[in-house]
Amino acid sequence: MADRATPSVPKPPRGPRLHARDSLVVVFLAVVVLVLFEGGSVRHAGDQMQPGVERDVIRAVGEPTGWIADRLPFDEWGDDALAFLEDDDVGAAGGFDSTPTAASGGVPPVTPDAFDPADLGAEPTPPRELDTILVTGDSLAMPLDVETARRVADQDDGVEVERDAHVGTGISKTGLLDWGRLSTQQTTERKPDAVVVFIGANEGFPLPGSDGEETDCCGPEWASAYANRARRMMDTYRQGGQARVYWLTLPLPRDRDLAEVARTVNSAIEVAAQPFRAHVRVLDMTELFTPGGRYRDAMTVDGRRRIVRDADGIHLNSAGAGVAAEVVLRAIRRDFGR
Amino acid sequence: MVFPSFEFAFFFPAVLALSWALMPHPRAWKPFVLAASYLFYAAASPRYCLLLAGLTLANQLGAVLTHRAAAEHTRRWILAATVAVDLAVLGIFKYYGFFVDEIGSFLASIGLGMPLPLLTLALPIGLSFITFQAISYVVDVRRGTLPPASTLDFALYLSFFPHVVAGPIVRAREFIPQLAKPRDPANVAVGAAVVLIALGLVKKVVIADYLARTVVDPVFGVPEAYAAPDVALAAYAYAAQIYCDFSGYTDIAIGVALLMGFVFPQNFNSPYRALSFRDFWRRWHMTLSRFLRDFLYVPLGGNRGGRWKTARNLMITMTLGGLWHGAAWGFVLWGALHGLCLVTERVLRGRVSAPPWLRWAIVFHVVVFGWILFRTESLELAGTYLAQLAEPGAATLWAPATVAAIMAVIGLQLLPPDPLERLRLRAASLPPYALGFGLAAVVAVVGATVPSQGVPPFIYFQF
Repeated sequence: MADRATPSVPKPPRGPRLHARDSLVVVFLAVVVLVLFEGGSVRHAGDQMQPGVERDVIRAVGEPTGWIADRLPFDEWGDDALAFLEDDDVGAAGGFDSTPTAASGGVPPVTPDAFDPADLGAEPTPPRELDTILVTGDSLAMPLDVETARRVADQDDGVEVERDAHVGTGISKTGLLDWGRLSTQQTTERKPDAVVVFIGANEGFPLPGSDGEETDCCGPEWASAYANRARRMMDTYRQGGQARVYWLTLPLPRDRDLAEVARTVNSAIEVAAQPFRAHVRVLDMTELFTPGGRYRDAMTVDGRRRIVRDADGIHLNSAGAGVAAEVVLRAIRRDFGR
Repeated sequence: MVFPSFEFAFFFPAVLALSWALMPHPRAWKPFVLAASYLFYAAASPRYCLLLAGLTLANQLGAVLTHRAAAEHTRRWILAATVAVDLAVLGIFKYYGFFVDEIGSFLASIGLGMPLPLLTLALPIGLSFITFQAISYVVDVRRGTLPPASTLDFALYLSFFPHVVAGPIVRAREFIPQLAKPRDPANVAVGAAVVLIALGLVKKVVIADYLARTVVDPVFGVPEAYAAPDVALAAYAYAAQIYCDFSGYTDIAIGVALLMGFVFPQNFNSPYRALSFRDFWRRWHMTLSRFLRDFLYVPLGGNRGGRWKTARNLMITMTLGGLWHGAAWGFVLWGALHGLCLVTERVLRGRVSAPPWLRWAIVFHVVVFGWILFRTESLELAGTYLAQLAEPGAATLWAPATVAAIMAVIGLQLLPPDPLERLRLRAASLPPYALGFGLAAVVAVVGATVPSQGVPPFIYFQF
């Protein structure tokens, strides 16, 4: 029988044999070299992880390694030597580090941009011709971008959908990616006519509060800091009113702790969009997918019950993203008349 | 926890050092490595550890009972019950949503409602590999090719962190005998391990993720938006990506195990140089091929019942092998395609001859075609993808780096193996300090190529 021909213990690869202590020498030497050259990255990675034991461990290791790396020139040398391999530099302009964290005093004026002309029965200011739709965000944007692009491609009317999702990133998580900078770069380089934003799977990280001190999620202080950042991105994406922004609120996740973060993010999005109602549409995915604030895996789509959430209880699956894409495209058609 | 992460970079040196320190004392070493493996697995979700422990106890009970049972039919029933438990767990977590959705679709088409709740269940990471390894243990015990191991040894086999998440599928009788006595500290293939780890990191992070980002994900996501040149490029790119992604993971797993003194079976052997489909399956995911052969094809009757039964057995084996990869019709069709190719090859053997280059071209391109079914999210999208292959238009994604990466991945497999093996041996023969610096350099370079999105999960994590 073929089964009996199978050897019992596999043969190791050919090559010299060393002592176990040599394996430790190799691994620890590699770790030491990496600490010297990349020590700051460890600390940085720890700061960007979701709260938990793993984060505590990485931060506990990252603090001393970062301290060592800060005092030696190797980290900088390494960065300089390998800079040519980094292909996604988002530049320095528009970073969140320059986002105001508190009102400068007085009552902020209300501008005409705070009103959607349609709400007032007025003639809306026409946006640019629709050539490019940018779908961006974190992992939430990934099935949405594909479903949106597929539907637009089916219409075959020359509109291009650009997809730019950044998995694992967040507005409150600037270490991995500063969305202030990225949004600036996206608008400068791509000049999208419509920007669809679906982000919020990795939020809840401490943000600088109005006093400059870090504030934890999810009170009003954190929500206002988050809203300031989101508002900044909305302002960037709307390009002075020439483009339209479609910002999706978060369907509530299955996990209660994450749902609390999502509720706060949703409130912040609503508040952030207020000055730009003429150009920024907040699309309610919360009520659509989690009516009454109750999580559900399935809903009726095209007359049939379908699973619309991923197994992680956070993301939408393809069917759910298809539902969201329909909402997005209806809103785009309303604004651009196509 | 994944291999290319800071968590693993600190977890592994600590575990490696303690493992070798405790190695002479199996009573301390085994619980320690078991705890480390559960810690590694718990990093995905602590809840999954309970499932892993439950599967361990259920299969150990099945193995011990089947070994002790005197009557043949009792042994058979115990084995069947144990395998049924494994397959039920796999079925519930992996296939429930798929089948309920399909049943719902069918019932809706005839005007009936859905009788089962539509729920999504989070697939415990590595469950397909864990259940297959558990089955291999119970069946080997039942066949008498392996005595029942101690519960501790079996638990260690099933959860051993280098292979728990995505294989290779190590057979119980390949691993458990290695636990019988402490590994020899004077006989560690350190150089070979470091070369494998470095190679695996480069394959995964530098090549596979680059191809996924620049070509594969955009085109397979929305094939309608691309014309024939890009769609064809993406198919070849995916062939290169999936090879680098999965064989990269396996290389790292084998290397990590080697550093700890354990040997895993080879899982890939230049699959794209295959001249026949049979040859391909002896080179691609070799441990799965072996498993399917020994635990499905041979028990079904193998090639012992004549031409038609052999064809039936091949089709069943390959179709179920496809379904093992995931709950989607694309995987089923992909498996069936390979089954059909294996059957056709058998029928034509000795009747048709072709030069090696032609055989290679046919096998390679059918394999690439199969990857389209494997990668697209639905049959409808696969149809769209194939239709776009006939759509004239501009080549917008043919960047030199992309083409070079694809050609390197496929071309290197076509080269004679000896020079590459000599190169590997030379690298593996470097002194420890050079290996350490080399590994650090590779990790630094690989780290610098990681985009802001981070390192995406290995493709086979979802299986």
